Amino acid sequence: MKILRAKFTNFRLLRDVEIDFSTDPAKNLTVIRAENESGKTTILTALQWGLYGDDALPGGASEFRLHPINWQDSNSAASISVEIDIEIVRERKTRQRKSLRQTKVYRVIRTAFETPSGNEWKRDSSSVTLHEQTDAGWEAIRLPERILAEELPPELREVFFTDGDRALSFVEADSRASKRYRVERSIKSLLGLDVINTALGHIKNTSRKFNREAQDAGASEDINKVVSKLESVASEIDRHQGIVAESALSVANIDNQLSEVNKRITEALRKGDRTALEKQLSRVNADWERVRAGIKASSDAHTNLFKSLAFSRDVIGQPLTEALEELDKLRAQKRFPKASIPVLEDVLEAQECVCGASLDPNEGAAHSKREHIQALIEDSRKADELQNALTDLYFTSRALLETLQSGNDSWTNQFNKVAERRDDLEGRLKDLGEETRELEAQIGQLSDADVGELQASQQSLRNMRERKSDERVRSQTELSHLSARSERLSRKRDRLLREETRGARILANLRVAQDVESVLDRAYSRIKQEELVKVSNLMNTYFLEMIGSDPEQSSIIRRAEISEEYDIVVYGGGGRELRPDHDINGASRRALTLAFILSLTKVSEAVAPNIIDTPLGMMSGYVKRSVLETASRESSQLILFLTRSEIAGCEDIIDEKAGKVFTLTNTGHYPRMLQYEPDAEVSQVVRCACDHRSACRICQRRGLDSAAS
Amino acid sequence: MTQKSHNPFSTARLEYPTEQKPHYDRYARTGVGSSAQVDKTPFPRMIDLWWAGLSVSVRKGLEPVDIGKGKTTFFIPGSIFDSDPWRIQVLQLVALRLKGDPEILLNPPEIITLANGLAAAGIPDIVEMLTSGDEEPIWNLSNATEKLLSE
Repeated sequence: MKILRAKFTNFRLLRDVEIDFSTDPAKNLTVIRAENESGKTTILTALQWGLYGDDALPGGASEFRLHPINWQDSNSAASISVEIDIEIVRERKTRQRKSLRQTKVYRVIRTAFETPSGNEWKRDSSSVTLHEQTDAGWEAIRLPERILAEELPPELREVFFTDGDRALSFVEADSRASKRYRVERSIKSLLGLDVINTALGHIKNTSRKFNREAQDAGASEDINKVVSKLESVASEIDRHQGIVAESALSVANIDNQLSEVNKRITEALRKGDRTALEKQLSRVNADWERVRAGIKASSDAHTNLFKSLAFSRDVIGQPLTEALEELDKLRAQKRFPKASIPVLEDVLEAQECVCGASLDPNEGAAHSKREHIQALIEDSRKADELQNALTDLYFTSRALLETLQSGNDSWTNQFNKVAERRDDLEGRLKDLGEETRELEAQIGQLSDADVGELQASQQSLRNMRERKSDERVRSQTELSHLSARSERLSRKRDRLLREETRGARILANLRVAQDVESVLDRAYSRIKQEELVKVSNLMNTYFLEMIGSDPEQSSIIRRAEISEEYDIVVYGGGGRELRPDHDINGASRRALTLAFILSLTKVSEAVAPNIIDTPLGMMSGYVKRSVLETASRESSQLILFLTRSEIAGCEDIIDEKAGKVFTLTNTGHYPRMLQYEPDAEVSQVVRCACDHRSACRICQRRGLDSAAS
Repeated sequence: MTQKSHNPFSTARLEYPTEQKPHYDRYARTGVGSSAQVDKTPFPRMIDLWWAGLSVSVRKGLEPVDIGKGKTTFFIPGSIFDSDPWRIQVLQLVALRLKGDPEILLNPPEIITLANGLAAAGIPDIVEMLTSGDEEPIWNLSNATEKLLSE
C-alpha cells in the first residue's frame, strides 16, 4: 500500500491543507519540513484517524478535540474531514497460473461534526466512506472498515505510523512486559503467526469434542469423571488465557495513554504556567493602556503646536520683529506729547485766555479763539487715546519681544521633541501588541492542557495499570497449575480409554487431534523462530550500520537481537547485556527503534509506507546521515516529518532520495518566529512549495532561514 | 507670556469666505466633531486654522483678500481672543506694521477686516501644506512648517 495524497479540513490547525507524497520507486522519500507546533504530529494523527477511525485518536476519542482551537463561531458545528488517496497493488494467479499485478486506487474519506461549547465540545462517532477509482470515476465500496482493516491491520499502526518519541516504546516503555507485548504483537501480526494461532484454537476445540464423545459413548464412570474434570480444567485454562491476553492488551493500551498524558504534561509544563502567563498578559495590557494614553497626550501636544504662540511668532517672523521695533521708535520719538486738557477747559470756562485775551462767547472776536481751543482739546484727547493704546501695546508685548529675541524654545525644537516622543511611543505600542499576541497564543495553546487534570488522569491510569498487571500475574500462576493438572488428567484419561475397547476409536481420534495440534505448534515455533531470527538479524544489520559511524556507541555496542520472549536486547563487549533505555544514548535508541520497524516491514514483505515524525531528533553527524540513508533505502515509501535542525547536514541525501519536499508553517508563529506577517487572519498550518534549501515569505523564520527567495 | 490686556475685538466678527468652508470643516476638530482623529484634523478649533492662515499670509507678504466682495461665513466673535490674549497684541502689531499708521490701533473693526482678509489669503497655502506629502495631514503640515521656517 502506498499513500498518494491527503487533504485535511478543519482538523485542529489543519484548516485547509493538501499534501501529496512521492510514489517514485527511485525517489521514494517524501520530506515534510516543519518546525515544532507546525502540524507534524497533527498530520500523523489525522492520517491515522482517517485510516483507523476514532480509536486511533490520542488518549481516546472522547479526550481529543478535532476542531481548530480558534474556531470563530463557537455556536456552529465544525465539519472536520480527512481525505486520503491510497494505492494498493495485488498479485493474483491467472487460470494459466501466471502472476497478474493489479493496481487499485482508493479514496478514504472520514468525516465528523464537532460542536464547540465553551471549553467543551460534542461529537458523534466519525463516519467513513471508501471509493475505488475506476474508468467510470469513483465508485463507492461497501464495508469500508473491513477492507481498511485487511490492508492496514490496526495492530500494525505503530509500525506504519511512527512518532519519534512514541516509537521508542518498543525499547523504553514503562515496563519490560509492555515492551515485550508491543514487539510480540507487531511481529505476530506482520509475520502471519496469528493465523496459526487461530488454527491451534480450532484443533483444541476438536479435542474437546472427542472428549465429550468419550463421555457420551457410555464409558466407565472413572473415564467420565476424568473427562469431566478435563473439560472443567480446559474451560479454566481458556478463561485465564483470556484474562492474560486481555490484561496484556489493557496494560499496553494504558501505557499508550500514559505515554500520551506524560507527553502532554511535559508540553504543558514546558509552555508555562497559565496563571503566570495570565498575570504577565495583564501587566502587558496595563502597559499597553498607559502607552495608549501617552500617545493620546503626545498627539494632543502635537496638535496644540499649531495653536501655540511659538507657531505664530516663528511663522510670522520678521514682520512681527519689525512691528515691535516700530513701536520702540514711536516711543523714543515721544511723538504724542500730552496736552493739558484741564487747563484748556479752565480757560474756556473762565472766558479768559492765559495771555489775558477775552474768550467771552458773546464777543465776536473771541469766537474763533474758542473754536481753536476746543479743537486743541479734541486733538489732545485723541492723542491720549492713541498714546494709551500704544503704551498698553508696548508693555503687553514686551514678553513677546523677549521670546523673539531669545530664540529659545523654537517651534521646530518643540515639534522635534513631540515627534520623537510619538515615534518612541508608537514603537513601544507595537512591541507591546506583539507581546500581547504572543502571550495570547501561548495561553491559547494551554486551553486544553490543564496540568492538574492531566496529573489526576496520570495517577488514575497508573492505578489501573497496577490492577491489570496483578490480574495477569495471578492468571499466569493459575495457568501453570492448570496446565500441569491438565497433563495429569490427559494421561489418566488415555490410560483408561486404552483399557476399554469402545474407547480405542475415540482415543485414536484424540491422538490425531493431538498430532495435528503438535504439528501446528511446531510450525508455529519454527516460523516464529526462523522469522524472528530473520527480523532479529536484519534489525542488527540495520542498527549497526546506522550507528556504525558513532565512535562513542560503536565501541560499546556489539550486537542487537530480538529474544524468543520478544525482548529487544542490546549487547556490549564480552556479551554483556545493555539495557536500551538506560545504557545507550538517545540517538542510538531511536536508531534501534527504526531498525526494528524497517526490518519487520522488510521480512514480512509488506508493501506499506513508513511515516515517521521527527526520526532524526537527538541525532547528529554521521549517525543522522546513515539513519536517513538506510531508512530511505529499505522502506518502500518513506515519509518523514523533519525540522530544519534535523535536515541540517543531510541536504545532499535529501537531494538524491526525495521525490517530494515541501514546508508546513504555523501562521500563529508570527511575529515571534516568522519573519513576515502572514495573509491568514487566524492561526493555521499552511503549506508552501519551499524545499529543504529554500524559504519564502510564508515560511521564512527569524534567525533560521536566509532571505526569502 | 503676555500681560492680561483689554480685548478691543470682543464684539468683532471673525469670518472666512464661504468657499473655504470645506477646509474648516475638514481640518478643524470643531468642524469635524468629537470623532475626529487628531492626525487627520490637526487644528483643534476653527480659530486656530484661521490664525494659521493669517500667520502664513503675513510671513509671505500676501495681499489680503477683500472678503467683503463675496459671501462670508461668520464662525466666532472676537471674544475668543480672551483665551489667548497674546493674539490681541500680535493682531495689533501686524496691523501697525502693515498699515504703517499708529492710528490703526484706534480702529479695531479695520484691524479685524484686515485680519479676516489675511487669513483668507493664507488658507490655500495652509491646505497645500496639509496635503503635500504621503503622510497624515498633521505630519504633512509639520514637515511643511519645518521647511517654511528653515527657508
